[in-house]
Amino acid sequence: MSAGVRPPWKVTWSVWHALFMREVLARTTGDRMGWFWMLGEPIAFIVIMVSIRSFLGRSRDIAGADFIVWLMIGLSGFFMVRDAIQRGMTAIASNQALFAYRQIKPVDALFVRSATELALQTVVLLILLGLALLTDINALPDDPLGVFSLWCSLWLLGLGCALIVSVVVRLVPDIQHLVKMMMLPLLLISGVIFPLHNLPHSILEYLLYNPILHGLELLRLHFFDGYQAVQGVSLEYLWRWILITLALGLALHARFELRLKAK
Amino acid sequence: MIEVKNLYKRYHTHNHRSTDWVLHDVDFTLPKGVSLGVIGRNGVGKSTLLRLIGGVDHPDRGQVIRHCRVSWPIGVTGGFQGSMTGLQNLKFLARIHGYAHDLQAVIDFVQDFTELGKALNAPVKTYSSGMRSRLAFGLSLAFDFDVYLSDEATATGDAAFKAKAQQVFQERLGQASVIMVSHSEDILRELCQAGLWLRKGEKPIWFDDIADGLNAYNDSVKQSKNTPVKQRKAAA
Repeated sequence: MSAGVRPPWKVTWSVWHALFMREVLARTTGDRMGWFWMLGEPIAFIVIMVSIRSFLGRSRDIAGADFIVWLMIGLSGFFMVRDAIQRGMTAIASNQALFAYRQIKPVDALFVRSATELALQTVVLLILLGLALLTDINALPDDPLGVFSLWCSLWLLGLGCALIVSVVVRLVPDIQHLVKMMMLPLLLISGVIFPLHNLPHSILEYLLYNPILHGLELLRLHFFDGYQAVQGVSLEYLWRWILITLALGLALHARFELRLKAK
Repeated sequence: MIEVKNLYKRYHTHNHRSTDWVLHDVDFTLPKGVSLGVIGRNGVGKSTLLRLIGGVDHPDRGQVIRHCRVSWPIGVTGGFQGSMTGLQNLKFLARIHGYAHDLQAVIDFVQDFTELGKALNAPVKTYSSGMRSRLAFGLSLAFDFDVYLSDEATATGDAAFKAKAQQVFQERLGQASVIMVSHSEDILRELCQAGLWLRKGEKPIWFDDIADGLNAYNDSVKQSKNTPVKQRKAAA
């Protein structure tokens, strides 16, 4: 005989556990090259960018940081936000069958997906830094705790955006193409592959509206002690974005829960 | 105990037109340990009511309050992830329902009950409809619920398997109760105590004794049979 009704937090916890196991299984066994590309994409990117830069004859160093490590951190941080948003877009559609069980809500699918993303991307970053260390590049963070907290902040930003995008895309499916299209320009204006320090103030002023730029620059600031970040980045601005996107995302999920569940 | 409060439900067509109310002001309280038989003609919302109680679908107005553990409608095959194996689906459900620590017991039960054998390790999308419904039945019965939801119309399977499910089900009824939609009067009389008669466009009637409900329902069916079709149309 069952021991009565389970308290809500317990139900939620078992749903998260079940979804997480399922998600990890799907990501690692679902497509055979999944694991490879998780590492392959950033490595390929780094190799290409480094060869372009050395071909152009630029110096490998950025003020106060090693270029390769600088690139690694920027790429992993950006990929985490990007993948959170892109995977968040499909999270609800791909879990549709499961909403037949009343315990599972669309917002659970989002949480679990982005937690999985955080875990996987963290592993990828550690592997990348490990590879760099093996090739005698100094890839140890100067302020590990700061790096960790900024890493988590970037994840929360990704989660907040994913919550909003997942609802918007269900209500207006065409937005999906727009979001995918925006990712490449976003990569360029977030200062991932080339530094934005030398841009004139009049342009930088507008680029600084982008919270990902703030997140990545702050992450690097904690990683390299003597790093010169872009003027005007602030932790407060980043966190304002995180709180607003999270609140708006959760509100949208609460408001449109039934619409999201409907087939 | 399950409280159903002023439940309204209607469906919407693709061009955003609403159909008539499928459920219109359904209101009852099911006491602990009482089994309920839901009766009525085709299309009066019996299956819909069961889906609402199970939380698979949501009412337009009103609410369902569950004070106990309620199953999903037994034998419903819609909740499977086709690309995953039967075993993976099973583990997933077991975790959701709080059986993460008794996984093996659940697996053993389902293996034994469904007789799927090696097929349990194949993706569900490769299953025949018979295999799917076996798995669905096995999963519904693998967990201890206080109230099971059973819908004859949506639960399929071959006769032998149905008999087996029936038997396991009746053993369960010692500790649990059931809300049942069925056209078989014998089964309803045997398993249920209370009855709920759903009628098109009218308030449903609650019967403390399912026998009274079935009698009233049968009388109404006979009456409408005796009325010639033409006359009925004129009356409407």
